[in-house]
Parts: sequence; structure tokens; C-alpha cells
Amino acid sequence: MLKYGDSSLSLWSVRSIFVAASAPMREQAVGPVEGTVTIQSDSVLPATLRDRWPYAPRYANVNGWRMHYVDEGEGEPVVLLHGNPTWGFLYRDMIAPLVSAGRRVIVPDMIGFGLSEKPTREQAHCLDGHTANLTALMRQLDLTRITLVCHDWGGPTGLSFAMSNPARVRALTIMSTWAWPMPPAEFHTRIFPWRMMHAPLIGPYLLGNHRALAGRGVYLSVVDRERFADTAQAAYETVLPDPATRLLTWVWPRWIPLDENARAFERFKWLEQELSSSKLPALIIWGREDEVFDAATFASRFKRLLPHAEGPHLVTGRHFLQEDSAPEIARLIGSFLDRLDANGGKQ
Amino acid sequence: MTEVTPIKMPNLEGKRLSFALAEDRVAHYPEFRDFFVRTFDLDRKGLSEPGFVHTPSGGVYAFIFIGRSGAPFPTGLEIYAVVDALEPIDGDLLDRDLWSILRWMIGGIGAPWTVEDLDRTGRLYRVPATSSP
Repeated sequence: MLKYGDSSLSLWSVRSIFVAASAPMREQAVGPVEGTVTIQSDSVLPATLRDRWPYAPRYANVNGWRMHYVDEGEGEPVVLLHGNPTWGFLYRDMIAPLVSAGRRVIVPDMIGFGLSEKPTREQAHCLDGHTANLTALMRQLDLTRITLVCHDWGGPTGLSFAMSNPARVRALTIMSTWAWPMPPAEFHTRIFPWRMMHAPLIGPYLLGNHRALAGRGVYLSVVDRERFADTAQAAYETVLPDPATRLLTWVWPRWIPLDENARAFERFKWLEQELSSSKLPALIIWGREDEVFDAATFASRFKRLLPHAEGPHLVTGRHFLQEDSAPEIARLIGSFLDRLDANGGKQ
Repeated sequence: MTEVTPIKMPNLEGKRLSFALAEDRVAHYPEFRDFFVRTFDLDRKGLSEPGFVHTPSGGVYAFIFIGRSGAPFPTGLEIYAVVDALEPIDGDLLDRDLWSILRWMIGGIGAPWTVEDLDRTGRLYRVPATSSP
């Protein structure tokens, strides 16, 4: 129920809710006035950022959770998937160009991030559950011929959705992620700083109390740090305002398999196997300056998994390459889809 | 006193337990769980009483251990500051005390985990307590 008495209900929230409620509703999409809405989530964006995220908020009940997403434009759907610790804002400069190119652009916030519901217990999160969350949204919107754009944990979740729902998927775009069972990089096996950062009690302290990943972590993983600090960092920090809201920032690292006994080992093994036989058209885009998921190791491995894929195209960017090269990435995706259209969907 | 030290249950009259930090998965790395089992004799004491420590600042903290069906005990852990019942906590002091507790924990777990690596990680992410004397 809307909390109209909440003093944090901003004019922006009211405007956004009005816009969402009066906009044509997608079939089965749940508008914010119809379900439970936490006004806190809608009102925390600073005024300086609201102009950069002008999209009507939409909400769907997925797999038992309240998921926020935006749904802009008309045409075949392009679904933009973020990872840890970001939200749809990561794609803010890619939505308009893709809509202008004749695509319907859907950007969900993963449960636990952005403007979506944020569970407060670690056990509420698991890799398969997050894939099921995405699957629920795709089915509620009855999307077919989807182009999935996968980044970070949007990779394992989005690609698992694609491999288990191939009839709904038209093409894949893969950026700075992985899809195989052993540690994604040597970096992830090191105690300093990776394993220490999310270790028991240290994760809740560093990433929760001191927002190490949502704050400085993202800052360190872009190329133009000054511009990022001036124009974007607040958008990532303000949607995770309290330690409890940052839970998923230390839970996701714990889902990276480090050995064969890891919880997600078998899921990643399956995912790698399914991808290796997938014929879905694919595009690989990577940040030239990405030191953690370095292109030489990761983009090349995806190319071996999907030898028919276009790319890898290298753009300016560290792990969060969208922060440095969004227009170029949007152009690459747009031209990739145009070529598929021209070739009858074949790569 | 310069180290975090386990102590017996203090007199809690006129005190309250003020929530400080929670961990849902203390055995994510099994050696962390082993440290708490060893330090607080949990195989024998189980859920019968919290563990308590005294920090260099003079603070007292309670460790409430949590069990889950089907998993070795403890699976989780909540840390509470023991404070005067009606007094607010000092947030900066609490933060420094938690850092002291984490350093004590890592030191007790031992190699390959080192206090030096914890300090480096804290400095990388600019945790204020890492610059405290």
C-alpha cells in the first residue's frame, strides 16, 4: 500500500508513479499503484540524478519478490541485465539509442539491488533463485525473440535463463562475465583483497557497514573515475542506503565457485556445457582496461565457447564498461541486431 | 588491556544488548566457524549461553550463535554491544571495536589468513578504523 503519509514521498515519486499509472500498461505488468510499494526506494535518487533516469518505474511480482524494471519503446525486446552491485542505471545511456533504433528495451533491477525488493537474509539469495526471478519476469511479460545483454552476475543468471528457455531468446550479448565452474580469475582465489573482502563477518562489516563495493569498489572499476564520481556514483550508493540493503553485495561473491564442492559448481558446469552447443547468435563486447575479467582470458574463452559469436569488440572500460562506453556499446548492439534482421535472424 | 579477550558472562543488570553486526554464513570458509567453536567451546556449550569478549576500548560484546537444521553449529553469528540500557551507542567507538574484533578473529584463525591482509583490505576501501592509533 502506498504510504502517502511518508514524509520521504517526493514530488519526483508522485510524478513517476503518475506517469507509470497513466502509461499504457504492458500485459501482466504490475504498475506501482497496484502492488506493495516501498516509497523509500523511489524517493532516494538525488535531484541531480533524476533527469538521468527519467523512465517510468514498473513493478512485477516475480518468484515471490517485488521486482522493479523499466520498459521503453516498441519492437523486438532487448533485455539489459546488470550485476553486482549495480542496477538498471548502469544502462541509462544505452536505453534511448536502442529505443530510437526501433527496439523495446526492458531493464530489470535484480532482486536485492536498485529499486527492487531487498531481502534481508543471506539464505534468500541463490543463483538458481535469481535465474527464476528473471524467468518469471520474462514469462509475465510474455517476451519472445529476446536479445539478452548480460553483464557480471547478469551473465550466469541471464545465460541460465537463455539456455533453459531457448524458444524465447533470439540473441545474446556478453560483457565482462563468465559461465564456467572453476574460479573465473586468479584474482578470485586470492585472499587480498577478494576473499578477505567477503569473508564471514568481514563481508557484512566492509561491504555492509562501509559499502566497500557499492562505493569505492565500482569507482575503482571504471576508467574515467572523476566523471563517474561526479555523475554516477551517487546513483549506486543511494539505492543501497543502509547496511542491510547492501546484503547482496557480499552474498554474490560467495556464490563464485572456488572448488568442486562449491554450491554453484554443478550449475556452472551445466551452463558451460549448454553454451558450448548453443547456436544462438551472439555478440561479445569487453572492456579494454578490465583487469579482473581481462579480455585476453575471458572474452577469448567465450569466443571458444561460442565460435560463431561476433567479436570480441574491445571498448574503453574496466569491469563496468557501460560507464565509459555506453553509446559505443549501444551502437554495437544496434548494428548487430540490424545485421540479424537483414540476414533473417542468422549470424 | 590491548587485545580482544574472551571473558565470562558479565553482570547484565541495567544493560541491554545493542545489535552491531550479523553473519548468516559463518562457515562460508570453514576455518572461521572452527575458530568460534574453539574459542567459545561451542561443541560443549552449544546454545546454552552467548560468548563474551572485552575489547581494548573497554567495551564488552556478546556473541550470539545461531543454528540451522542440517548444518554444523553454529551457522550464523550476531554480535551485540553490551551497553547501559537507556544510553545510545557511540557509533565511531563501535566501529573501531568491531574492527578490533575482526583483527582478533583473523589472528586467531591463522594462516593463510593474516591481520596484515585484513589491514590492507581495510585501507584499500578506506575504512576509518584502519587509520586509528
